[in-house]
This record gives sequence, C-alpha cells and structure tokens, in this order.
Amino acid sequence: MIRKVLIANRGEIAIRISLTLREMGIQTAAVFTEPDEHSPHLRAADEIQRIHSYLDSQEIVRTAKECSADAIHPGYGFLSESPTLAAACEQAGVIFIGPESDTLRTMGDKLESKGVMQKAGIPTVPSWHGSPPAAEYPVLVKAVGGGGGKGMRLVETAANLADAMASASREAASAFGDERVFLEKYIRQPRHIEFQILGDSHGNYIHVFERECSIQRRHQKIIEETPSTALTPDLRARMGAAAVAAAKAVSYRGAGTVEFILDPAGDFYFLEMNTRIQVEHPVTEMTTGLDFIREQVRIAEGGKLSYRQSDLHQIGHSIECRIYAEVPEEEFRPATGTVETFEPPAGPGIRLDSGVAQGSVVSYHFDPILAKLIVSAPSREAAIERMKRALRDFVLLGVRNNIEFLYRVISTEDFAAGKLDTGFLDRHPQVFSTSETIPIEAILAASLSITPHPADSSRATFPGVWTSGSWRNS
Amino acid sequence: MTSREIHWTIAGQDVTVRVEESKGHGTFHVAGRSLPFRLLQPNWIEIDGKPHRFYVRRSGNECTVWFNGQTYHLVRIEKGGLTKAASITASGKITALMPGKVLRIDVRAGDTVEEKQPLVIMESMKMESALRAPKAGRVTAIRCEPGQIVEMGELLMLIE
Repeated sequence: MIRKVLIANRGEIAIRISLTLREMGIQTAAVFTEPDEHSPHLRAADEIQRIHSYLDSQEIVRTAKECSADAIHPGYGFLSESPTLAAACEQAGVIFIGPESDTLRTMGDKLESKGVMQKAGIPTVPSWHGSPPAAEYPVLVKAVGGGGGKGMRLVETAANLADAMASASREAASAFGDERVFLEKYIRQPRHIEFQILGDSHGNYIHVFERECSIQRRHQKIIEETPSTALTPDLRARMGAAAVAAAKAVSYRGAGTVEFILDPAGDFYFLEMNTRIQVEHPVTEMTTGLDFIREQVRIAEGGKLSYRQSDLHQIGHSIECRIYAEVPEEEFRPATGTVETFEPPAGPGIRLDSGVAQGSVVSYHFDPILAKLIVSAPSREAAIERMKRALRDFVLLGVRNNIEFLYRVISTEDFAAGKLDTGFLDRHPQVFSTSETIPIEAILAASLSITPHPADSSRATFPGVWTSGSWRNS
Repeated sequence: MTSREIHWTIAGQDVTVRVEESKGHGTFHVAGRSLPFRLLQPNWIEIDGKPHRFYVRRSGNECTVWFNGQTYHLVRIEKGGLTKAASITASGKITALMPGKVLRIDVRAGDTVEEKQPLVIMESMKMESALRAPKAGRVTAIRCEPGQIVEMGELLMLIE
C-alpha cells in the first residue's frame, strides 16, 4: 500500500496528481526549486520540500527517503521518461509510479522501439537505407542521429535523391557529428492519433481509446480531442488492437500512450510510445469516467486493472485547449509576466487544470503551459460551442497568452468539419491575424479607468478601486 | 459630477473621450456623440443601455482592455493643456473613428464646408453618428460611398 507520494513535478500536473491522491487518502509531498517558492502546486500538497533541480534523480530519491514517501510520481516532462530515476527508485526501494526502467530505456530509443514494434507486427513508417522503389515517392531523408528537422529533406522523385542525401548528410554531420542518413516514406497530411493504454503487472492490457492531437505548433500539440473524426469503429478497433499489442510487446506496466500517424487513406503507422501520464489525458477521463492517476497508483501497488476492455465506452465528446504563455502572432514567442487577473470560465462540462493563479509569476525557467481548459459535451458540435464560450469567458491578464488564438482556430470551418492534420495551422494563416478594430465601448471602458487627477495618471499601477472591485466615487 | 478628457491614439488617429461621472454613472462624449453609462458591478458596465464585461490593466500610458472576450491594447497620450473636445485632429483628413457602415454623405467634392459641419453619417454599433469637419475649408476628395463598410482609421474624405 502506498501511504505517501513525492510528486517530482510542478505546475498543473503536480496539482492534478495531488487532487487524486488526496481523494485516495494518500499523503503528498511537493517539491520546488527557488523560482517556484510561491507556486500554487505547493499549496495542493500536504508538505513541501525544497530541491535544487527537478532534473536531479539522486536528489529526488533522497528527498523521498528523507520525508518517508514510499513512492514517486514523476508527472510528465522532467524525469518522467528517464530510466535513471526509475532505476534509482528500484535501487532505493521506492516505488516509481510508471513502467520499469528497462521499458523506459527501450522506448526512449527511436530506432530500437521501432524494431520492437516491427517484430510485434505493428505497422511502422516504411524506411530504406538504399534507393526506395519508384512507387514509394515522395520520401524523406532523415538523419540517424537527428531531430528537430535538421538533416531532413523531402525528395519528390528518384532523380533528386542523390543530391538530397548528400546535402542532408553534410548537414547531419555538422549538427550531430553523425553523417548517417536513411529514407522514410513521406506521409502527406498526416493526422496524429494516439491510444491511451493501461497495463498491470499481471499481464492485463487494455486501451482506453484514441485522442486526436493533430493541431500542433512547432511539433507540439495545442488542441486535443476524443473521439477522432477520422476513426470508423473498424479502424478504431484495429488501431486499439495494435496499441494493446505494443503494450504487450514490452510488458508495459502503468499508463502509457501509443502514438500513431494516420494517413488520408486510413493507413496508420507506429510513431512512438510515451511512457508516462500524458498532458492531454483529461479528454479521455471526461469521456470514459476513468481517473488515470488512480489507475497508475493502483498498478504501482501491484493491483490488477480495475477495468476489462469490454467495460470501457466512449461517452460524448471532449476537447482540450492548452493555454500557453506565448504570442502566437509573433511566431509563438514565449511570454512572461505576472498573472494580474485570473478569472477562468465555469459551468457544465468544463474542467480547468491550472498551474497558475492570480499573482503567479511566469518566468522563462519552465515550459510555458499555464493551464489546460477541457470541455465535454454530448456531441462534437456541442463541445466546440462550449469551448468557444469557455474561451470567451476566460480572463487572463498580465501575461500574454494564446486564448484568443485558440478561439480563432476552433472557430474555423475546417475545425468544425473535422478536417484536421498536422499542417493545419500552416494552411490556415488567417488564424494568426488579430482584429484591427476596437469597439468604441472598449475605449470608453478604458477611459473610465483613467483617474481624474493628473497626478494619478503617472502611476504605473492600476488604481485600487478597479482591482479590488468596489466602486468609489472620487 | 466630475469631468475629464482622456486622449488615445488608435490606428494613428487621436480619439478624445470626455467622461462626466458621479457615483458610478455618467456620460461619455466621443466623436460628437453622448453615451450614458452606469457601473453595474465591478467589471460590468452598462453603456447606452447595454451591459458589457470588462477588465482594464494599465502600465504607464499603455492600457490592456479585456472586453467581452477579447483583449485590446490602447495607448494614451497626455495632453495637459488641451480643453477643446476635438475628436478629430484638424489635419483635413476625415477618417472612420470606428468600424461601421457609411449611411450617407452630406457633401459633394468641391463643396465649401464650415467647421463642425456634418460630412459623413456613419452607423456603428447600431448607432448613427456624424463625422464633422475639423476645420472650415473645401472638400477635395471623397473616398467612400453610401453603404460601404469601413474599418477604423480608414480615410473617408479630404478637406483643404
């Protein structure tokens, strides 16, 4: 039995983990580094421990031992997929709420994980080391040691192959010190579809349906939903079976996600496996009723899965928008500042997983995610309308953010029609243009806020009467 | 009842708002129009009978206004000695003060006009308003026509 968990994370996910643990009667210890000493995630825990880094496995395990925590929950990001932390836990006799360190090691290696999946009969993107058959064009040249688009070339016909490989190889050598390149089939207009999986240490594996995460900026998801408009019941069953087979192939323990890309013809390919709780897990919780933190703890304690595959059903539709401190109109540059006004939306079918509150300071130290706004409704159409309403009701001032950008994205005709792929934002440049016009009422409201006396007008801060809420005649 | 004038620069255009207020209610005077307002509760204001939710954050002369779900950035200009309720600079350029529809044009090119004479009648926010001559002169060009939808700051007419 787990009695106390150290949460090795910060922000919204640390809070979200604390909430379930409290409901389970489990004590929680939060950790923080200096820039986070006033962060809301500290108020969600029973006790707090100061650390030097969220990335130091040894320090985190030592801190867990010192405060008598029997388990560590890594959240997402930071050390969540680090074999080092899992191994340190295994050595120290602390339960790591996640898969075994060997699984993390295998899945963390893109080539090795691809090989494991191929052996298990799961489709992967076709790749070649020499010249591909003519029918397979276009192809991508990719660097073996690479990432981030470096050493990558799109080749439309065989005639251009040699040149592209040579230049990609030169680029790869200078960027990664490894000149090796290979070829991969280029998938046009791919959708990003992932399957939530759960596995216990008794050989039981289930999938908890899909999430569509095709709306991305800089290869990072910003809007996720379930169910996907691209999946028929048959395709869902086949992809779900492939996800379960992937979990079995590595004897997966815990909650994980199998990511696929789906092409317009309905063929899908294994992309990678995320061996942790996923940022977008709430949309699955909203449509299935599961609590993945609860399941993770149960599995970590050695328990069996609480559900069989046939127990699970998708009910209604759920969408998540990631609220980021960034300026989409300026190439998504990160924004910083102090959250001066924080008035989130409320009402039926609305969930907010937030890492900030009024007064929170947003700095460059960490990922710019502020909160996740999740809605659920009986239909996709209703969920979109609910999300639009919720985004319009969301007041977040003091730190520039993407709330209005998200509104413009989900208001497009193509989003409503479910015509999504990972190039969506590139194909919809209009979502980047803000309205040039200002309603006269907005100007009037702003005018009212300017205090009558010239002496007051130089004040950098806003007069208290408007921030504290009560009207005072001056 | 107190009265004050606030000057903003919006889309390259000076906009002056005169606020008359007492105990949370009063009148806005802008672009030749008078609009009654009432503060309903913190962050809710009724302007000309319609309620709006709003938040304002100020930093120096820059103002961020959250208004009915959208955020706008305004820049204030300090004009210590200015007392005239001029809503348009006397440059001879007649521009739209807000987005809307041109309802009527009351002058023709070549006409001589007097200061404050109505030139263009616009409909914005379901209200009619007149754009008036900032100075006496002659209409040299008309750049809009009745029925046209115009953006804030769009040039509509020139006077010399």
